[in-house]
Amino acid sequence: MKLFLRQVRSLVKLSFLELWRRNDVFALLLLGLALMVPLSMATPFGAAGASRYLDEMALLLVWGFSLFIALGAGQRLFPPEFESRTIYPLLAKPISRGRLLVGKYIGAVAAAWSALAFFYVLFVASVLLRGGAFAAELPQAIVLHFAFVALAVAVSLLGSLLVTASANLSLSAIVLVGMFFFGRRLPEYAEGLNPALAWVVKAVYAVAPHAEFFDMRQRLVHGWGAVDGIVFSVVLLYAAAYAAALLGLAALVLRRRRL
Amino acid sequence: MKSGSAVDIDSVSRSFGSVKAVDGLSLVLAPGEIVGFLGTNGAGKTTTIKMTLGLLAPTSGTVKVLGGDPSDPRVRAHIGYMPEVATYYPYLDARELLSFYGGICGLDAKTVRRRTDELLDAVGLADAAKRPLKTYSKGMLQRAGIAQALLNDPDLLVLDEPFTGLDPLARIHFRELLLDLKRRGKTVFFSSHELGETELLCDRVAIMKKGHCVYQGPVRDLAGDGAANLERLFLKTLEEAK
Repeated sequence: MKLFLRQVRSLVKLSFLELWRRNDVFALLLLGLALMVPLSMATPFGAAGASRYLDEMALLLVWGFSLFIALGAGQRLFPPEFESRTIYPLLAKPISRGRLLVGKYIGAVAAAWSALAFFYVLFVASVLLRGGAFAAELPQAIVLHFAFVALAVAVSLLGSLLVTASANLSLSAIVLVGMFFFGRRLPEYAEGLNPALAWVVKAVYAVAPHAEFFDMRQRLVHGWGAVDGIVFSVVLLYAAAYAAALLGLAALVLRRRRL
Repeated sequence: MKSGSAVDIDSVSRSFGSVKAVDGLSLVLAPGEIVGFLGTNGAGKTTTIKMTLGLLAPTSGTVKVLGGDPSDPRVRAHIGYMPEVATYYPYLDARELLSFYGGICGLDAKTVRRRTDELLDAVGLADAAKRPLKTYSKGMLQRAGIAQALLNDPDLLVLDEPFTGLDPLARIHFRELLLDLKRRGKTVFFSSHELGETELLCDRVAIMKKGHCVYQGPVRDLAGDGAANLERLFLKTLEEAK
């Protein structure tokens, strides 16, 4: 257990250094800062109530940036190790492929969470600067967003072992963004289609990661209140189970991968 | 398995589809021995090294390392490995690189710090320890690779083309480092195209050709083998194995 913890600590540190020393992530954070500051100062139409739309825009930015970082973090876990041949000295050390996968996943999630935490600090600061107040459901919204990021990293990690980087990032983004905006409407779409297509749409609904489950932006912006504790727990369990299933598949792919 | 051997490769074959990369190789390395692994490109050296590290499973035959199965992480805890060319994490510096690998080896922070200081000094990277690896030359990356391979004070050191990119002074230091390891009872197994360095360092050499081991023998017997040096033996062996 001590060995495992030391290995995970090393992999987490590696992921943090990798993420925070990358110029593109740094640029993204600066962009976030550059967009959030004006948003925090705006008073649209002189109407206090309209500020909720600024909150919505700010939250959408946070979601977009976090998705970009999560997909990138998952994508960069293994392909660069194969390309630079560092996978060989790494696996020649006392670490199994499964343990390496889990350790790298934890590291990538922790690093992506650190960037997300930074964005939420910016968001909260922008709300406070506009004279707004925290909604009671903010902690719940943040926890669900963190769970989504963990899920997105797992999606990208599995994809990185199966297809090229550009294909993985494109497909993962299409699936997650598509589900985020249209996932809840898929059953309605299915009703108006012929049976074969309806079956396909229903299959997508059953299998695809339900990014929309984690989206509490509307509740947060309009003050609709927190979701029921049981629903909240089930969504967290869904994220954990889905991510575990993806990691299981990734472990199978990695085990069969010839070095 | 021969008792007490550091590496015991017994009738090992490895195929990739219809291509037999290694065919019926048997090779035993005794503790404290330096063995050079020679051969032309595509002779099966790297495949053999990967099987020795547990990175590849043999199609047939067995590989035992330090008395155990190299696919077992507990066995690999006593192995050090340096690949032929690796571009280590460019955003880390050498100290961070060794700290990372130290954690993967399960070493505590104090040991990692001590070993890092010793090894950076030994491979001549102490002055560049705080520079990002992306600014390193090929030779410097090679030295960082040597340092990471020695971090866990391994009983078996496996090196793939270790002299690539090293300048003459670094080669001399590296040779002394390997000889010091031998004096401490460590086993060194390396593949190389550098026949001069191999001759200076090795107790024994094994020569591969098209997946077959065509020669195994001690370097000190080379003069009596009708070949004046390793280069001539190498050419003669490959010629005879046609």
